[in-house]
Amino acid sequence: MVALMLPLMSDISVERAHDPILDSITEGVFTVDREWRITSFNHAAEEITGISRDRAIGKPCKDILRANICEGDCALANTMECGKPIVNRSITIVDNRGRRKPISITTALLKDADGQTIGGVETFRDLTKMEKLRKEIRRQYEVADIISRNHRMQGLFSVLPDIANSSSTVLIEGESGTGKELFAGAIHQLSPRRKKPFIAVNCGALPDTLLESELFGYKAGAFTDAKKDKPGRFALAEGGTLFLDEIGDVSPAMQVRLLRFLQERVYEPLGSVTPVHADVRIVAATHQNLTSLVKEKRFREDLYYRINIVKLEIPPLRDRLEDVPLLVDHFIDRFNTLQGKEIMGVSDDALSCLMSHDYPGNVRELENLIERAFILCRSGHIEREHLPDPVCAGFTGGAAVGNLDSFRQMEASFLMSALRQHKWNRTETARALGIHKTTLFRKIKALGLKPPRT
Amino acid sequence: MGMGGPVVGTRYAIQIGVKTTIGIAVWDGRVSTTLDFARKLLVVDTDGTHEISRSEVALRDEPVRAKAKRLRDLSVHVVLCGTVSTPLAQATAQEGIEVIPYVSGPVDGVLEAYMTRQLAEPCFLQPGCRPGARTRWRRGAGCVLGERRVRGRGQRKGGE
Repeated sequence: MVALMLPLMSDISVERAHDPILDSITEGVFTVDREWRITSFNHAAEEITGISRDRAIGKPCKDILRANICEGDCALANTMECGKPIVNRSITIVDNRGRRKPISITTALLKDADGQTIGGVETFRDLTKMEKLRKEIRRQYEVADIISRNHRMQGLFSVLPDIANSSSTVLIEGESGTGKELFAGAIHQLSPRRKKPFIAVNCGALPDTLLESELFGYKAGAFTDAKKDKPGRFALAEGGTLFLDEIGDVSPAMQVRLLRFLQERVYEPLGSVTPVHADVRIVAATHQNLTSLVKEKRFREDLYYRINIVKLEIPPLRDRLEDVPLLVDHFIDRFNTLQGKEIMGVSDDALSCLMSHDYPGNVRELENLIERAFILCRSGHIEREHLPDPVCAGFTGGAAVGNLDSFRQMEASFLMSALRQHKWNRTETARALGIHKTTLFRKIKALGLKPPRT
Repeated sequence: MGMGGPVVGTRYAIQIGVKTTIGIAVWDGRVSTTLDFARKLLVVDTDGTHEISRSEVALRDEPVRAKAKRLRDLSVHVVLCGTVSTPLAQATAQEGIEVIPYVSGPVDGVLEAYMTRQLAEPCFLQPGCRPGARTRWRRGAGCVLGERRVRGRGQRKGGE
């Protein structure tokens, strides 16, 4: 309501700007004087930016809002110069926790009782939840949507832009539930083809006959009930990216047809004798070891070398347990948005259980665990009883410490587990956890751990 | 109040005698508010004690990974900036570049402060940040268990 009022009421006095009613609304509101220093800052503005009112008052607004338009295209500056309000402009800010947030801003002039312009007023709405819902609906993912602090994953992230910019075929290997489609989507979003379609096909989910027509399409009359032409996924992905998931499950006959496309970039729809040229980038994925399948003669060697131009191997979640807390936070945020709940987090005990599980289903399994916990947990924190028994059955308490009933003890158990995994090598452990070696040494000393020497 | 005189031996200080290329996100003669949205980078070559040369390069509005790679391609060892988003900070660290955030002030003053190990002075802390913000940021970035909401024993249910 404030955003609608502002363009009509340009004579908002300083006293109204400090009205405590502004603290009760969900839109952030702040006012600035002619020197661009903040003169009022409501509660919602504190929540959205992460900066408290007492730290914001008197500071330059650009240092508080930290938006992409502050330097060179300030909306408030435009309003104060032209006298015209700006309504519902979408911009991006970085909050005090380092999170990029999309927001929508509206500006107006701030005038005193005599009608003199004394500054400006800006209201803004947090669009983060809307953006998340939009991504859910369109399934448009970016690299930033892949949550990981793991050293190996960060290495994959670093090469994604170069891989995306090339047009080479990519093969993604990883266990089920590790996020292969997310990586494929991220490659597409980073590539020059991002404005064209991203089409995904699960090759393992369809029988051969259906897969052929699904991929290549068919002409009217190609078979019974083929009453009109139907474009296949190759045609639908024209100019864009085609993601072939579970390519290891493709039959030998289909492998031949895929090989022809990769060699000559042409295919024939079912029932057609005219080759069709396609400008499509192929990203393939499999949970199987294609090298082994080639040796077993279950996968064509020539096709393997055609798709294995660039290979990405995604580590399973059990090899990067340091990502579990980040993923738990991410899924809690996601389900809070989708279900309109306000679950605040997980308890120490619940997180200990989650950290001790080995996740045969990887990230998808963790997501399912959190989704299940959301059903059982109405509010507050997810507790151990909200998790299935098999998850907590593996939680034994760690070797070096006794009862794990505090954050310090949980951290100690996790570090000992990580050190054990890397054969007590401190350097390797620090690298795997993405922390400096001195940080690891400091934590070992602070937690009173006594790991064996290598 | 504040951190007192020059801070010696911290990671926020240049290493004497070590050639270092410093990148400073700039706008209008001052450190830019946010590295993510900065359009100019001042690249300063030093011998660890003195400035040797400087140049200004344009930064594009591009994905975080691409921006981090751009910084790497400029051979920057350390970046001084205002706020930086977590994804960009991680991407930049992955390229082996140290980021020193929450820096504010005129570019030459900030550069001299960094070269003389006085960047921890309160006058170079970005407005809106509490003293110790960089230390907490660094602790958060290096924290083993990451950033999450955990309620331990002794805390009330429904509260943090």
